[in-house]
Amino acid sequence: MELLGTIGSVIIKVAFAAALAAVFFYYRSFKGNSDRALFYARNCYHLATLSLITAASVFLYLILTHQFQFTYVWEYSSTDLSLPLLISTFYAGQEGSFTLWALYTSFIGIFLMLYTSRRDYESATMSVYSLILSFLLLMLVVKNPFTLIWDSFPADLVKTGAIPGGLQNVVILDAVKGVWAQFPSQGKGLNPLLQNYWMVIHPQILFIGFSSMAVPYTLAVAAMMKRDYHSWIRIATPWAVFGSMVLGTGIILGGYWAYETLGWGGFWGWDPVENSSLIPWLLCVASIHSALNQRKTGGFVRTNIVFSLLTFVTVLYSTFLTRSGVLGDTSVHSFVDPGMWVYWLLLGCLAVFIGIGFGLFAFRVKEMPRVPVKHSYFSREFALFLGAFTLSFVALFVAIGTSSPIITSIAKGKASAVEIAYYVHTNLPLGIVICLLSGLGQLLWWRQSNAGSFTRSLMVPVTLSLVITGIVYGVLGSEEFLILLFTFCAAFSLIANVKVGYSVFAGNPKFVGGSIAHVGIAIMCLGFVTSSRYDSKATLALERGRPTESMGYRLTYLGYKELDSERYAFNVEVHHGGVTKTVAPIMRFNSQDNSTIRHPDVINFLSRDFYVSPVTVESGGETAVSHTLVRGRPVAIGDLTVTFNEFEFTDEHRAAMAEGKEFFISADLLVQEGKSSRQLKLLMRNSAAGSDFVPATYASKDGKQYQFAMTRMMPSQEDPSQSAVAVDVTLPHDPAVHQKEDTLIIEASIKPMINLVWAGTVTLVIGFLLTILRRVDEARRQGDKIQASE
Amino acid sequence: MKAKVIVGAIVVVIGLVLGAMNFMESNVEYADFSVAEQSHKKVQVKGEWMKEEATNFDVQKVKFSFFMKDESNRVVKVVLDGAKPNNFELASSVVAKGKFTNGEFHASEVLTKCPSKYEGSSETVKKTL
Repeated sequence: MELLGTIGSVIIKVAFAAALAAVFFYYRSFKGNSDRALFYARNCYHLATLSLITAASVFLYLILTHQFQFTYVWEYSSTDLSLPLLISTFYAGQEGSFTLWALYTSFIGIFLMLYTSRRDYESATMSVYSLILSFLLLMLVVKNPFTLIWDSFPADLVKTGAIPGGLQNVVILDAVKGVWAQFPSQGKGLNPLLQNYWMVIHPQILFIGFSSMAVPYTLAVAAMMKRDYHSWIRIATPWAVFGSMVLGTGIILGGYWAYETLGWGGFWGWDPVENSSLIPWLLCVASIHSALNQRKTGGFVRTNIVFSLLTFVTVLYSTFLTRSGVLGDTSVHSFVDPGMWVYWLLLGCLAVFIGIGFGLFAFRVKEMPRVPVKHSYFSREFALFLGAFTLSFVALFVAIGTSSPIITSIAKGKASAVEIAYYVHTNLPLGIVICLLSGLGQLLWWRQSNAGSFTRSLMVPVTLSLVITGIVYGVLGSEEFLILLFTFCAAFSLIANVKVGYSVFAGNPKFVGGSIAHVGIAIMCLGFVTSSRYDSKATLALERGRPTESMGYRLTYLGYKELDSERYAFNVEVHHGGVTKTVAPIMRFNSQDNSTIRHPDVINFLSRDFYVSPVTVESGGETAVSHTLVRGRPVAIGDLTVTFNEFEFTDEHRAAMAEGKEFFISADLLVQEGKSSRQLKLLMRNSAAGSDFVPATYASKDGKQYQFAMTRMMPSQEDPSQSAVAVDVTLPHDPAVHQKEDTLIIEASIKPMINLVWAGTVTLVIGFLLTILRRVDEARRQGDKIQASE
Repeated sequence: MKAKVIVGAIVVVIGLVLGAMNFMESNVEYADFSVAEQSHKKVQVKGEWMKEEATNFDVQKVKFSFFMKDESNRVVKVVLDGAKPNNFELASSVVAKGKFTNGEFHASEVLTKCPSKYEGSSETVKKTL
């Protein structure tokens, strides 16, 4: 197995070398137009891809067969995971997720190679693209996923000398010098938060999206290399739309994951990890809009190149933010400090691709065609231009907010993240503009704009949107002005796009993608407003069996069910409007470290979600009461009188301590019950593993059990008479007293019309799909034209 | 054309200025309890949970309170709106965001900084042998 690992790391180096060679030969082929170089280049690229697939297969094999002698396998997986989850541990850590990213990048490259070869773009494009792949592979060369565990923990695992009998998992490293190592028989396992089916699907989609974001960048650089500033737009558009669709789907799935299982309370928390995939997405969408302008007018040449470059540069910047450890602990996601190598490599990668893209841009900018665009405020082009810029402003503000820990640590010396309010305040006005433009722009496109007909076309959408805004205001209540304006604009965009989409569909169904995508966005925006601005929330204490009324719902905590040794489902009956349903939010108590992980549960009504997230459970009956017992002072506890006499540390135990063996220190209590009294010793156990307190039970004369648990020893050096001990005492259960039931504390919230968000997402993806079909078709025809002319 | 560029530039500059102001406002500054007490502003205080002092969870009001020692060693009672934060027992240090009122620190949020369990450590590697 160790041999397989060695093979794996060698193959990764082969892949890296092959990718670099592909860069070289592709560039030669571009410069010299040499078929020979092109032949070598393609083979090198294929070799890189093939090697990477092999390395990834070896890696997956090691995971599936539980080879815990590899640090990564030990770190993220364990033998008790289900097969899909076990597979998903492939990308649970940094090395694996970079492998996945590189793998998808290499796959997409194969398609890109075929696609560009038919459009006379292969050499230039693939030389840049192979360089991107090389950098990803370099990351794997530096952060080797096949690292052996005894190389990671030499001090703990590597030993010299005779191997004791009966040891399992022993590997002899050097037979001559007698060096050997033992490796674990079980892995640490996957973070419980990640253990659900979202982990299987979400990262995959996100990484396909990330990988495809490299294509518009590559094509823009290739265009500058070839000094072709127009036809590349048509070549690049289908890829940009594909990338936006996949990344957009990945982002929203992540949101759904956070909402449904992670219990963040909403679908978007403006967390760095979420933001970092949103920024490239916004820029890619901006580039699609701006590209439409160039196709129509021939202008916006430089704008489009810059947008395409930024799309990938922000992917790298995001990766740097979330993977290098710079955000520290200002986020809910935990970022493991990956070490200086990765930090500088990520920074270097960012610098290289900014340098190539914008360096070439600076060289070529003077010769780029300037096409004077006829400006008219009432033109689709102007709306597209404003739309693209507003989108990039959203991206800019999100990027600034996400970079806050870096900015503040430079400016103030202490990293701090911005509050969520920052994102809402900056993006709400921009969202209003975007919605307005996406409605206006579509109407302008459809009615070839003369002022009169345009005004007439506005009548219906404006009236209907006012009605919708009125309904939102009437049904859900008042809100601030900007929110109502946002609602109005989103409704306007929805109706305008439905109207236009219907007319387009009647003309040529193939062209309807854009309208449908905008309808999706508008529906999502309406969903954002209703579900997160008109939501209601309450924190409730539910005593078992006793119905509690809140927000028009009657909630009854029925009791809990043990799912396994750590996870408990808490059943709550929800009664509303004659319908009774049950939710079962889950809490996972980890006994080892006392941590709690909470999973919400949701009842999905058509018009709203009822969202229940567990907070804590308070046991009703036996509660321990803390007492501090000072030496010699009797304290009444229940029917008992308890006095702390002294600490005892016998010579025998002192000797054990000196030898490094387990030893005990005790606190001696005198327990009086009526006239009789008895000694009770509370022990503190000390060993190499640490110290803990041993609980003790006192049985009274009538058979009642008192539980004593020491929590702290407080010996006083200066005045031994002031020595004290802290004790938790659980009183015996008394059937005569009314037993208070368990109380479940929950946070319940109602999210009106949240289904709009999901419905909008699906609509958006359908719109993207239709657009891809149309643009691919168009690009194919252009490709045919080029081939015909050759 | 010129006029448009100027109007555009003004809009962009105004946007950036508003954005920058927003950024400054929503960045909650670090402070210790004594500074927080005087400023009455929302701040974040870093410190550690006093494990030996009592913690309390008010079921009815849903407030969790504990004692926290800030970096200048002043101990103050912190009242959090909500339940005990995730991983509270594990935390090597905590950051409380909120305001100082009436001798108590009222936190809207308490972040816990954990020595992550899911990081490689030589202690765990020994345990899984």
